[in-house]
Amino acid sequence: MRRFFKSTLLAAALLALLGAVTAQARPLVLAVGGEPETGFDPITGWGSYGNPLFQSTLLRRNAELALKGDLATEWSLSEDRTLWTITLRDDARFSDGTPVTPEDVAFTFNTARDAGGLVDLTGFEAARVTGPHQVELELSEPRISFTNELATLGIVPADAYGPNYARKPIGSGPFRMVEWREGEHLIVEPNPYWHGGDVPFERVTFIFGSEEAALSLARTGEADLVAVPSSQADAPPNGMEALHVETVDNRGLMFPMVPDTGKTTESGVPIGNDVTADRAIRVAVNQALDREALVALALNGHGRPATGPADGLPWGNPEGAIPGNDPQAARATLKAAGWQDTDNDGTREKDGRDATFSIVYPAGDSTRQALALGAAQQLRGIGIAARPTGRSWEEIRTMMHSQVVVLGWGAHDPSEISHIYHGDFAGMGYFNPGFYDNATVNAHLEAAERAPSLEASLPEWQAAAWDGETGFSAKGDAAWAWMVNLEHSYWVSECLDTGKRQIHPHGHGFPITHDLPDWRWTCGE
Amino acid sequence: MIWLRQLLLGRLVRLAWLLPLAAVGLFTLISLAPIDPVQAYVGDRTSLIGPEQRQAIAATWGLDRPAPARFATWLGGVLHGDLGRSLTFDAPVAEVIARRFPTSLALIGSAFAVSFILGTGLGIAAAAARGGIADRTIRTAAVVLTASPGFWIAILLIALFAVGLGWLPACCAAPPGLTAEETGWLDSLRHLVLPVATLSVVGTAPLILHTRQRLVAFLDGPAALHLRAHGLSWWRIAFGAGLRHAVGPALTLHLAGAGELFGGSVLAETVFAWPGLGQATVQAATGADASLLMGIGLATLLFVFCGNLLADIAAHLADPRLRQASA
Repeated sequence: MRRFFKSTLLAAALLALLGAVTAQARPLVLAVGGEPETGFDPITGWGSYGNPLFQSTLLRRNAELALKGDLATEWSLSEDRTLWTITLRDDARFSDGTPVTPEDVAFTFNTARDAGGLVDLTGFEAARVTGPHQVELELSEPRISFTNELATLGIVPADAYGPNYARKPIGSGPFRMVEWREGEHLIVEPNPYWHGGDVPFERVTFIFGSEEAALSLARTGEADLVAVPSSQADAPPNGMEALHVETVDNRGLMFPMVPDTGKTTESGVPIGNDVTADRAIRVAVNQALDREALVALALNGHGRPATGPADGLPWGNPEGAIPGNDPQAARATLKAAGWQDTDNDGTREKDGRDATFSIVYPAGDSTRQALALGAAQQLRGIGIAARPTGRSWEEIRTMMHSQVVVLGWGAHDPSEISHIYHGDFAGMGYFNPGFYDNATVNAHLEAAERAPSLEASLPEWQAAAWDGETGFSAKGDAAWAWMVNLEHSYWVSECLDTGKRQIHPHGHGFPITHDLPDWRWTCGE
Repeated sequence: MIWLRQLLLGRLVRLAWLLPLAAVGLFTLISLAPIDPVQAYVGDRTSLIGPEQRQAIAATWGLDRPAPARFATWLGGVLHGDLGRSLTFDAPVAEVIARRFPTSLALIGSAFAVSFILGTGLGIAAAAARGGIADRTIRTAAVVLTASPGFWIAILLIALFAVGLGWLPACCAAPPGLTAEETGWLDSLRHLVLPVATLSVVGTAPLILHTRQRLVAFLDGPAALHLRAHGLSWWRIAFGAGLRHAVGPALTLHLAGAGELFGGSVLAETVFAWPGLGQATVQAATGADASLLMGIGLATLLFVFCGNLLADIAAHLADPRLRQASA
């Protein structure tokens, strides 16, 4: 009680002194989901989207997605592109006051490699301490997309790491934990040892639980920022405004690329589709789709037409796209390739085979359902009979090598492009389900991974989409028909400035916290 | 007390074959469920986790072995008092259950008490006023409640008291943004009201109808008529001798329905973001988290088993004829 009294007095005195400043430090309440049920351990996968809160990373991506140093002051890649040498800043401390050492970095990477969690360090050999502020990371082969791991893997303290770490995290990030009530909320406060400056919030609360609960908190004025479904976004409550963030959270039609020869995968899943294996069909779909209409229909207008898997990212390439909403051109393409409607049933055929396929979507996803229905409707106009088909994810896995599926990607990681289009990944789970395999594209993707820096790799990633001759984009093999990029909608307090924003990745909600320490209150009390 | 020993022995024998049967049944169901636990674990990081890492995840959690081997491992652990590790929460199952059980118990216990008092009281009142307006109102309400789905009642309560009037919170077990120390017991109580109201509805309606039925029979019997002839009002008789007459069987019925409270709590916890076992059950099921589902399943089984046992004991205590029958 005495302590309480003293601290109250102290607070009152501070208030009198710093009236304006304390008004700036008022607590912040967010309801943007993103609760990691397994806790806040970067080694098992915490923090790959949004702000890792408690930990900091070697590098960070700024609003333009360029790499900047965070714990690292210098980073260089060897001649043979398999050895990163990283120099650490000397003023970084964990929230318990102990300094961040190269031993901690080596421990983090080596432990994550063997943990069997959600950090994929395939191709990473080992980390070694090579000096008082220096660490080496060795790769088994050149892989420039390893920079993504440098930018997302939070560093943990080797000494304080153990079985309870995930629920009591200690790190060198902007915040430290006050209380986590699982399923309900997470309360954090600024980490006084953080090397990144002052955070203008005395406390930040993340509210979990249902979407409805979040919306009602916004309506009662208890939350300052809430993730909302786009259908409700345009009616923010008093004192809040709607915010629509551009994303690379995309949706597209994935085509099976090989003919059906009766082949199956090891687990007996059929491979191939004779209709979509014909490039003319895939190009015609790309020409016919009215993507503006799909944005209006499926996303309430909150999105933009998609040209590829990485729109707006440094490694994206819109050059390979074909203007859509052109049924004339689509019909010409089909006709030239021998797809004709000879029996006047509205569907073209070729060699006795109808131009028909299923467009499979996960049954519980209303956005993908609307996209599948809309696309099927638009394709009917050019004589392709697509059947929208809702299935569970488990069933989709047995159909995705032989039917068209509505899939979505969009990470801040160029290796995703390899995963979707490189022949080596054909049929590996959700990677490249259509068995696309083009030697030139593979070569571009491999050249990109061998680049001396992320900047230097960008032209190769782009060339994989379209190099003037071939590529995976619509001008080339048209391996997918990309449809839309979603926008993520939020309600934000009119008194909160959330600064510059990245193009958001796949996953609505938590990514908005990426630059949380830079946010500001704009209203006086 | 001979009847009690016999009852307990019989029940223990029943538990001895029920537990293994439930364990095998549960595990078979989970193994057959068309959910890939690795995919559920990877979730929205599908694009970033390669095939080799997926194998590493499966190996870490022992998901790459055939189901019988997994079951044998789990069973071996249980016999040593280790319930395994939850994939969903990356924590020991025993810890997850221990952390969440009190939260659920607060909800279930309160609902149990509230519905018992309300159900019995209203049932007796209806019987005392049988044929009158109060009786008809109570009976209509009970029938409507019996026919109303719990989630619908929850949404109705939220719409009215949380959103419309703003009197009560619509989520969570405590005010969001306040730490445990900063949360007063009054806050906790306010957060309990709507979930408990929702959950109480499940048990109240059958209790009203059952109690009323039983008491009407009593009130039309010779004992009640005798009291009436002495000039006591129906209300006095109903809430005096009648209450003693009805409370035993009502408690028996209510205890026997404890399992339904568990089922109802899954729903109430989901709607009100109440971080108890019900919420964990839903997450474990959607993630094919076998260890946690088995743990919760068996804990629930024990809980319901105890409820039924208590119901039997209560019945024996309330009715001497049962005690003589088994002696």
